[in-house]
Amino acid sequence: MTVLYINDEEVTVPAGTSILEACRENNVEVPYFCYHPELSVAANCRMCLVEVEGWNKPAASCCTPVSEGMKVVTQSAGLEKDRSMMMEYLLIHHPLDCPVCDQGGACKLQDYAVEHGVGRGRYTEVKRLPSDKDLGPFVNTCMTRCIHCTRCVRFADEIAGTGDMGVLNRGDHMKIDGIVEDALASELSGNLGDICPVGALLDKPSHDVSRPWEMTRHKSTCTACPQGCDIVIESRADEVMRIRPLKGGVEPWICDRGRYVYDAFRSDKRILSPMLRVGDKLEKASWDDAIEKAVTMLKGKRVGIVFSPDWSVEGLAAIRLLHDIGLENPKVAFDLHRRDSRPFAFDEGLTMTTESMEQVDQVVILGSDLRQRFPILMQRLRKRANLGKPVTRIGAMHYRTNSEIANDALVRPRDWYAVIARAMDQLKVLGKTAAGMDEWMGKVEARHEAGKLLADALLADTCALLVGEEIRSHEDAAALIHGLDLLMRAAGHAEEGQDGRNLLPSGMNAQLLSAMFNGTRTAAGEVFAAAIAGELDTLLLIGSDPIGDGLFSRKAKEALAKVDLLQVGSISGDMVGLADIKLPAAAYSEIEGTFINMEGRVRVAENPLRSLGEGRPLWKVMMRLIQALGHDVPAVNLTEMREHVLTMAPDFTALKDIWFAGKAQEDFIPAQRNRKNVFLPNVAKMNAAKGLDVVGRYSMYKEGAWVRASKLLAEAGRIHALDDVIVHPDTLAEMKLQAGDLTIMSNVGAERFTVGTRTDVSPGVVFVSKRGTAGDISGETSVDLGGGQ
Amino acid sequence: MNFIKRHLKTWLLWELVIGLSLTGRYLFKKKITVEYPEERTPLSPRFRGLHALRRYESGEERCIACKLCEVTCPALAITIESEERADGSRRTTRYDIDMTKCIFCGFCQEACPVDAIVETQEFEYASETRAALYYTKDMLLNVGDRYEPQIAANLAADARYQ
Repeated sequence: MTVLYINDEEVTVPAGTSILEACRENNVEVPYFCYHPELSVAANCRMCLVEVEGWNKPAASCCTPVSEGMKVVTQSAGLEKDRSMMMEYLLIHHPLDCPVCDQGGACKLQDYAVEHGVGRGRYTEVKRLPSDKDLGPFVNTCMTRCIHCTRCVRFADEIAGTGDMGVLNRGDHMKIDGIVEDALASELSGNLGDICPVGALLDKPSHDVSRPWEMTRHKSTCTACPQGCDIVIESRADEVMRIRPLKGGVEPWICDRGRYVYDAFRSDKRILSPMLRVGDKLEKASWDDAIEKAVTMLKGKRVGIVFSPDWSVEGLAAIRLLHDIGLENPKVAFDLHRRDSRPFAFDEGLTMTTESMEQVDQVVILGSDLRQRFPILMQRLRKRANLGKPVTRIGAMHYRTNSEIANDALVRPRDWYAVIARAMDQLKVLGKTAAGMDEWMGKVEARHEAGKLLADALLADTCALLVGEEIRSHEDAAALIHGLDLLMRAAGHAEEGQDGRNLLPSGMNAQLLSAMFNGTRTAAGEVFAAAIAGELDTLLLIGSDPIGDGLFSRKAKEALAKVDLLQVGSISGDMVGLADIKLPAAAYSEIEGTFINMEGRVRVAENPLRSLGEGRPLWKVMMRLIQALGHDVPAVNLTEMREHVLTMAPDFTALKDIWFAGKAQEDFIPAQRNRKNVFLPNVAKMNAAKGLDVVGRYSMYKEGAWVRASKLLAEAGRIHALDDVIVHPDTLAEMKLQAGDLTIMSNVGAERFTVGTRTDVSPGVVFVSKRGTAGDISGETSVDLGGGQ
Repeated sequence: MNFIKRHLKTWLLWELVIGLSLTGRYLFKKKITVEYPEERTPLSPRFRGLHALRRYESGEERCIACKLCEVTCPALAITIESEERADGSRRTTRYDIDMTKCIFCGFCQEACPVDAIVETQEFEYASETRAALYYTKDMLLNVGDRYEPQIAANLAADARYQ
């Protein structure tokens, strides 16, 4: 710690802190443009000058570290003159167009011009006129306003890792340029508009539409991925204008997926009033009529429920109440990405926080396209890699990342047994073992060399395992996760405090769902299969879009054609023309509710937007259904609903503290760990599979009903399109086939698709883009390839 | 003494005489009332009457949708919606002033950086319905087109005090 004096006040800061940071921490105002707490120091705006006693000239405070006994002055006549000269210099080329600039009113340059500026420029020569750049659908540019702080360039280099912004030329000819074809390559590009201190880079979708002072801010939680970032929804007269990361939230950035999903709030796919099928068409109806009709579909009928995990905790508890009280033994499922509904040894959710992942010695990513699925988590790993800490990855593809991967191995989904068994071998040789490991290993004969990478990583002092969708969606996931659990126990990474077993979930609130529906859940595929077999009369879809998302689209289509469909939700998804009744439920931005993210962080939204149309919070819709089905209503307000949550999940004391004891939202909900069930590998089934494994490819701009309804994200999805079907060229060569139109033979028949090749995928795997032409195949586990006709 | 004075004033109706003499004086003074609407009083160039949206000489509307008038309006009478026009310039798609709300404080014209919204000397725009007092962008531009010479003259007259 270093003691110094800022304006004669003694302050203590950690050694190595810069003067500017010391000032910021102690609420001393120092103006600056180019400094940003998350970016490296550039010290090129020269606005943060301060005087240090004994120094003969002012120092740039952002790049001057503090030293013991230093005496800093932030306000003096000399500094004021320096600052006004800096302002005059920065404003030489800056246009006087604040009234048409979206930044106007929230602009640092504007504020400092008032505070430190001279009011009149002496520059009469020709002004610079750099041309505007096209940086894609999300970032608007007006380069005449640029003051060359290079925050955007540093962001692209350091945070996004794409390096597609740069500085050209010097002096008066200096300009910022993007090396861009259609759009910035980063999935974080929306943040550029936020970090630009002036109006040079602005948010394009909201450009010229609103001004900063018109916005009402609503603190909320993003549900676009299980990361559940803290966001601020900015609205004008109930219309959402922007979504931004919460200042002081856990993560400084949010991804484009979470930011531009708001376009869907106003899409025509929203369910805004109850709808009833009359003949072939859906028509608007009153709540009473719709509920009455819904009861005829539910009462005494065999019902299947498929719901989305992204509802608030209260809504999910209400679904459980409907399940328990209202209906007779319904089949219930919620995870459209999980084939195996057996309880996992360590269930979905992280044990570590994303911050603590920066600290551990080793991180192993097992089968996950982390950048597409969890861009903000990937961002943390990138930060970690930049510090020189290794990331190991094993998966079916060298998924493109913006971070350095130290060890990277390719495996087919059917090889996971062999990978785990190989790692177990190695640990056993070193005398590290866990009860049940031998039995597990005994079931697997093959060994895969990628297991060595896994074992090497596990031998580190601290290790975080990030188990991704390739394992979670595996047919025999429970056995694989049991194997990984044994490995982690053997390596000593399963103890309290340094538990590194992280299973990446597919939706929000995974910890709660895992506790609340343990034993009652089935796989979504089973629900649809039951419907196809005629064992169900009605399907109740609550916010879930099984046709558009997940592994069961083909089955879902068939099932929904057979049974009656009652849809409760905020958005229709891809089930156009299938629902018999639609009931509107308020969107996540429109409710008071609680969300749990994959780390177990609890967020309570208290200041929602007004609900559009006739949408009601989901728990109210559920209560209404329970009442209409002839039962007593278990909860009439949010407090009673929350009490029910605590009865269903009594271990979740953090929720109780936050709701009823008014504690700050800092406590974590623990993920389910150490389940005692033993699941051994079913290798025979794997060996009976068809020749090639299928891995579905996920595009962050296309997955999820909300995302698909956003035209902004559709545009990004078009630009960052994924290949439809790809295989490794060696796989084709082995089968004596050529890339091009080939027949894919799966359990449901043979179809012809254009197959491309790429060398960064694992041989023996067919990669199918979920939203591409061959989307239906992505739900299969294995296929065969055949030649032309 | 006082007693006598008071009684004299009372019985001689002295206060009445003073009052009537004032009335009498005004009876023979030059009249200042005008026979509106045949006659009119002169108006200051700063008179704050009906609002107008102005155009440049090229015919291009001046308003750039900065919304400063909207935010400064103490009566919340102005409603603006804007978007980027095809040529890339920022323009209003909606510019409404509710004259029933307006208090004619003139803040809007003072806030306007491009002299687009101004208050004319027109004050005879009474209507039989409230709806007719809801001025939309087209109506305001029309007012501007009609009164442009007057507006320009007033601005010129007031320019040296700005």
